Amino acid sequence: MKNGVRTRREAADLSQGELAEAVGVTRQTINAIERERYDPSLELAFKLAAYFDCRVEDLFDPELDGDLTA
Amino acid sequence: MTQVQRSPTPRLSRRRRYRRLLFGSIGAGVLASLVLRFLDYPVLGEAVYWLGIVAALAVWRGTDVALFDERDRSLERRASQLTMTVAAVILVLGASAARLGATLGLFEVSPFVSGALYGFVGLFGLFALCYLWVRART
Repeated sequence: MKNGVRTRREAADLSQGELAEAVGVTRQTINAIERERYDPSLELAFKLAAYFDCRVEDLFDPELDGDLTA
Repeated sequence: MTQVQRSPTPRLSRRRRYRRLLFGSIGAGVLASLVLRFLDYPVLGEAVYWLGIVAALAVWRGTDVALFDERDRSLERRASQLTMTVAAVILVLGASAARLGATLGLFEVSPFVSGALYGFVGLFGLFALCYLWVRART
């Protein structure tokens, strides 16, 4: 699923490992989400959205045509 | 946005260390067991094997760190589905070929192959039981 995790993580100057630790998953999981090879569970999606202080739909775009960089 | 500590990631490092310890215990136990059996110490080999298993269980249950996350479980689920699909294809084709070969007198199925096919039948029986158990709890 298309998402803005990498954009927001880099804007926050975080490494994948730091974000992974903050939301309780492995660095590989964050990497897979950013590469759109793994769709996170609802629980993890909400954790990521809460971490970046945004809505889930601002972070993940199942329609593949939204603006996720805001 | 939640602030994150920029120091090294101790929890993640611990996860990686404990995972290596878990799989390493099993690997070392199996390897040492094989060597000891080869050297004609079968009982000691079995003891070392169980030591590795118990050490792995101790690591798994004894730490407060989550060793596996949701992606690990997703990968396991997909690998299990693929395994069952491959097993089903082997069983369907293998059992049919074995029956046909025996009926037409083309070949005799060896006890090894026959045992393996019954093993697959047992696997699917176990799968059915597990499926029913999980469904009842969900």
